[in-house]
Amino acid sequence: MNSKTSIFRGITLIALVLIVLMPFILPSVTLATEILIFALAALACNLLLGYTGLLSFGQGIFFGGGAYSASLVMIHFNFGLISALLISILVGAALAFIVGSLSIRRTGIYFVMLTLAFTQMAYFLAYTFSDWTGGDNGLLDVPRPALNILGITVSDLKSSESFYAFVAIVFFVVFVFARRVIHSPFGTTLVAIRENENRSSAVGFSTNHFKLVAFVISGSITGLAGALYAMLLNFAPLSNIDLVMSENILIMTIIGGTSSLLGSLLGAGAIVLLGDVLSSIWPRWMMILGVALIAVVLFLPGGLWGGVTSLFNKLISNKKNKEESSTEVSK
Amino acid sequence: MSEYLLETSGLGLDYGAFSAVGEVNLKIQKGTIHTVIGPNGAGKTSLFHCLTGERKPSRGKIHFNNENITYLGAHKRVSKGMARSFQVTSLFQELSVLENLRIAAQGRDGLKSLKFWVSENKNHHNLEKAHEVLNKIQLNDVSDRLAGELSHGQQRVLEVGMALCGSPALLLLDEPTSGMGVDDIPIMTGLISELGKEHTVMLIEHNMRLVMSISDRITVMHQGNILVEGSPDEIKGDEMVKKAYLGESGHE
Ligand SMILES: Nc1ncnc2c1ncn2[C@@H]1O[C@H](COP(=O)(O)OP(=O)(O)O)[C@@H](O)[C@H]1O
Ligand SMILES: [Mg+2]
Repeated sequence: MNSKTSIFRGITLIALVLIVLMPFILPSVTLATEILIFALAALACNLLLGYTGLLSFGQGIFFGGGAYSASLVMIHFNFGLISALLISILVGAALAFIVGSLSIRRTGIYFVMLTLAFTQMAYFLAYTFSDWTGGDNGLLDVPRPALNILGITVSDLKSSESFYAFVAIVFFVVFVFARRVIHSPFGTTLVAIRENENRSSAVGFSTNHFKLVAFVISGSITGLAGALYAMLLNFAPLSNIDLVMSENILIMTIIGGTSSLLGSLLGAGAIVLLGDVLSSIWPRWMMILGVALIAVVLFLPGGLWGGVTSLFNKLISNKKNKEESSTEVSK
Repeated sequence: MSEYLLETSGLGLDYGAFSAVGEVNLKIQKGTIHTVIGPNGAGKTSLFHCLTGERKPSRGKIHFNNENITYLGAHKRVSKGMARSFQVTSLFQELSVLENLRIAAQGRDGLKSLKFWVSENKNHHNLEKAHEVLNKIQLNDVSDRLAGELSHGQQRVLEVGMALCGSPALLLLDEPTSGMGVDDIPIMTGLISELGKEHTVMLIEHNMRLVMSISDRITVMHQGNILVEGSPDEIKGDEMVKKAYLGESGHE
């Protein structure tokens, strides 16, 4: 087993270092928390886009669904932290099952259109059932319960530092899980489907089953992210389930780079930071986001992570060249 | 038990009003290399699509191992013991040669490959199969290269290798030499006759020298139907076959 396929070494270590450093480097812990939450959503999107080749505009449904469901069971049924998060995972999975099983009946542009249509529908459902969702105003006073394990309160999660620590642990567990998924027989089959669906089917895979499971895994992680976001804000806005949310998640995934899970962390970091810094200076900052997206697609096809790795490789080969020439000189 | 591994009865395929395959009764005996030839547009590939499950036949039946598989999906035929290559090379271009073969071998596991919680390294049997096929098709030297970087001839060989990974009882090959240079064709000829020792092979092929040298039985198709069927020697001397080819290309 090498560091490329080992789920605990290689980029998992880099992710761990970044998670630990982020609250110290970034302007605020809350911002760091927000980055990790969106990194979860981008990572889940990456499983579909990067590894399976499915461009899904349905991610906002799972995100919003996770946020609403966790908030509702906490508000109305006094669910604790862990059980509310489990609900959001289940709801995310169930929504992804519905959207996925219907959308993957078509491929290419029709598949994309179907996910888009589902998102529009979900938005208007959330808007219409305002008794449950708060409609335009969103769901207010979403609690952030204490973290209880086996009846013992580990932390009340009231401070932003403690909530960051909790989200960081969740992120790390999901990251390792996603690495396992990618390097499983299932994950390698997903890549095969992305590369050549026709051939995948010819060698014996019922590709739709694989796509559907990919959807369900992606949906459950996105649902979890939505719930954590509601707990962070103490609020579940309607915008969670908006098409714009799906777009943002996709943009983070693409800007970060789809060839690696670490790209999703970079992408989420870049967009959340940009938004935070620029929106205070210039209300039209989304325009810059557009420019950034165009630049990445045109000049950095591997995304930020692709850029980082190629820079790294260049540095290494430069160094090697220098060493070689210097040994030649010393000869 | 019938001695035929594959049997079609009245098999046909229409594209709209046009009938690409009329009514074909094809019988492929176990352990043979059975080649289907015919001028361009004769309906060979269309027939092939029906056999692999890529297209639903418009009429007729397909029996494989005495089981009716007429409407079975393409991926399910693999577990029944069929595997195919493509006329237009269809590989996982961005993956290594070895990974191409390993995934093709993994295809035999079908839905068992949905296990997302175990490491791929646990599936030794697929990697072993991939190495076994790699030896057979003699691409060991390029096993780490991306499939898309191989020469055309090597890609054609890999194309056949991927079908082999399914450990099929029946190997369906659609023009394995298509686009291959003259120098590479003997390699493919050797490979197919080698495979013929262990598998039943249904071959579609244009290259006459190859066809005549390795086929046990030849079916000639013309305008969607079977014109004649026989041993290579019988086909060589057949006047109708000559006419069909002459009608198409003028010389030959
Ligand atoms: N997808 C299609 N739609 C309509 N006509 C087709 C299609 N594929 C093939 N044909 C027609 O069917 C006939 C048989 O084609 P094909 O099976 O590819 O022949 P062969 O493989 O023997 O050259 C040809 O006339 C071809 O133009
Ligand atoms: Mg053809």
